[in-house]
Amino acid sequence: MAGMSLREVYKTYDDVVAVDRVSLEVEDGEFVALVGPSGCGKTTTLNLVAGLIELTDGDILLGDRAINDLDPKDRDLAMVFQNYALYPNKNVFDNLAFPLKMRGMKKGEIDARVRKTADILSIGPLLDRKPRQLSGGQQQRVALGRALVRNPKAFLMDEPLSNLDAKLRVQMRAELKRFHQELRATVLYVTHDQMEAVTMADKIAVMSGGVLQQYGTPDEIYERPVNTFVAGFIGSPAMNLTRAAYVAADGGGFVRGSEGWEHPLSAVNAERAGRSSGEVVVGIRHSQVRIYREARPGTVAAQVYTVEPTGDLTYVHFRLGGQLLVASEDADFRAAPDDPIWVEFDQDHLHLFDATTEQALFRIGAAAANGTERAREGA
Amino acid sequence: MPASAASVAPPRALAPARARPRTKRRRFQVTPLGLLGWLFLAFLLLFTVVPMAWMVSTSLKSEFAAIQQPPVWIPSEPSLDQYTRLLSPAGETGRQFLTYLRNSVWVSLATTVIGLVVAVPAAYAFSRFTFPGRDMLFFSVLVRNMFPAVVFLIPLFILMRRMNLYGSQWSLILTYLTFGLPLSIWLLKGFYDNIPPELERAARIDGATRFQAFRLIVLPLSAPGLVATAIYAFIQGWNEYVYARTFITDESKMTMPVGLEKFFTEYASNWPGLMAASFIMSVPVVVLFLLLQRYFVQALTEGAVKH
Ligand SMILES: Nc1ncnc2c1ncn2[C@@H]1O[C@H](COP(=O)(O)OP(=O)(O)OP(=O)(O)O)[C@@H](O)[C@H]1O
Ligand SMILES: [Mg+2]
Repeated sequence: MAGMSLREVYKTYDDVVAVDRVSLEVEDGEFVALVGPSGCGKTTTLNLVAGLIELTDGDILLGDRAINDLDPKDRDLAMVFQNYALYPNKNVFDNLAFPLKMRGMKKGEIDARVRKTADILSIGPLLDRKPRQLSGGQQQRVALGRALVRNPKAFLMDEPLSNLDAKLRVQMRAELKRFHQELRATVLYVTHDQMEAVTMADKIAVMSGGVLQQYGTPDEIYERPVNTFVAGFIGSPAMNLTRAAYVAADGGGFVRGSEGWEHPLSAVNAERAGRSSGEVVVGIRHSQVRIYREARPGTVAAQVYTVEPTGDLTYVHFRLGGQLLVASEDADFRAAPDDPIWVEFDQDHLHLFDATTEQALFRIGAAAANGTERAREGA
Repeated sequence: MPASAASVAPPRALAPARARPRTKRRRFQVTPLGLLGWLFLAFLLLFTVVPMAWMVSTSLKSEFAAIQQPPVWIPSEPSLDQYTRLLSPAGETGRQFLTYLRNSVWVSLATTVIGLVVAVPAAYAFSRFTFPGRDMLFFSVLVRNMFPAVVFLIPLFILMRRMNLYGSQWSLILTYLTFGLPLSIWLLKGFYDNIPPELERAARIDGATRFQAFRLIVLPLSAPGLVATAIYAFIQGWNEYVYARTFITDESKMTMPVGLEKFFTEYASNWPGLMAASFIMSVPVVVLFLLLQRYFVQALTEGAVKH
């Protein structure tokens, strides 16, 4: 296993910039998830690392060796494809054996390795089948097996779970995580499912429009998103983001929505908002919104839109001014549409962004984490 | 190329008839429309089978029985004399006939092999790579097929003379390649288009070179396309008459279709001999087709048509 570095990686297709100067350090044994919306350049980045497409500019290092000009076969990486890319005319055994054969391994050893890998993934009984005779989940295991069967320097995975049904996906997610922990493998894992990223990865790289927006641990990304894009992308349901003007006042100040609602700010938050151009985007996660049935100081009036009980907790969608926001409450919370409520945003978990630049206004002293700084410089 | 079309038809028309016992019984009960369909197929079958049956029947008759009135279907004294005469190198006729046969095999095989060697990489390139003028080139490859083959007779004749190939079998091989390649490339491209590029990518990451990925993964997957292309090219060369008649003057270099014509003029009265020669000529095509029709149908449905 080895670490991996992407330095100013740049790729254009004619006039489309698919990957725009992405820099990323993956430590040896780290599981890094690359997330972002469709078309943001995730697959392109992975293919660049694999050597399947040519860099326009920048460097890719494996360990401390630049691999820019190496052929894919010489990079010693393994890849799992979204559509699995199993060889349809070979049976499972030969699919797993192919990478070993290509590296000139002896028959006896190939046999032993394939069987061992098949056992680990419990696909032993399927070795004689052709890929089309397998279920989606089984195909997925075989694809994983073909990557695991040799000891590559790192694994590249392109949405390996996206073709599975929800239940199987959760199960395979756990298996993948466990396999990573046992092997201490270096993994670069592409997904557009932020849930997968948050649950499995040591670090998350959030991409949008070919640009790396933020790179950090799941906690960092969740707690301290550097801009409104990351804030809205990570977390489910998505973070509430609403535009407001900052109005200074004694002992803090408040934010005022264009429809006139006002929510007070603590002194610390007022200082943050004060650094903005005057307009801010207020971000608050559903779990940090408190709902009251009667007016209180420090709350703002809103109307229930709809209530979604999910079993564990209940999501309350409510209207604040013209906007729909969401809060989560205890499972037994019930309300009728248009019921009046009063909501309060937790001052300690309030996210504030400059409305013009969309960049976060962090608390002074709580400096952004390393990865975050780098990502912002790159952007 | 009416000749090739005619010899392709019989096995295709035969196919539904052979499949009949296996089709579900429900089909027969269904509708008058279905019945009409079967009648139509039966008619087609008759249309294609009767001449062939007549050919075989005549080839087994004596010269006299062949022109007997009224004609009979089953020869009273069937004999294989004509076949032994044609296929024995001892006699003059046999020697001639075997020369034609050998020439035809050589020309058709060379066309097929060279055709594949050229069409496979060309089709692959059209399918996988983008390069300047790609669409234009692909279109121009197909343009040839918009004109009847005869249109090119004179130009190609002049060309072959200039290249000093007139009278050589290479003039035929080159001509057949000109006609066969466009369809071969088009057919194979359809096949490669349907093979996901991820397979090659996976192979390259698994340690294969670009060429190994093609040879070990893509090529086996396109086998039906290769087979279909090969059959097409072979039949094309095997049946072609007009160019063979024009470009070859030396009797020792002539191919079967032209040779048959010579038989026809020289042994005008020997109908059984002519029919036996015709039958021998149609055997390789029919056998090839029956053996490989599964691939052929797969090629037409999976490869080109879907695209
Ligand atoms: N071969 C290509 N030619 C031209 N443009 C391309 C090519 N491949 C990708 N692109 C463009 O590059 C951008 C990034 O594509 P990429 O496949 O990396 O997205 P992605 O993040 O993997 O998306 P998804 O989640 O949908 O898989 C897209 O705008 C895409 O249209
Ligand atoms: Mg992708």
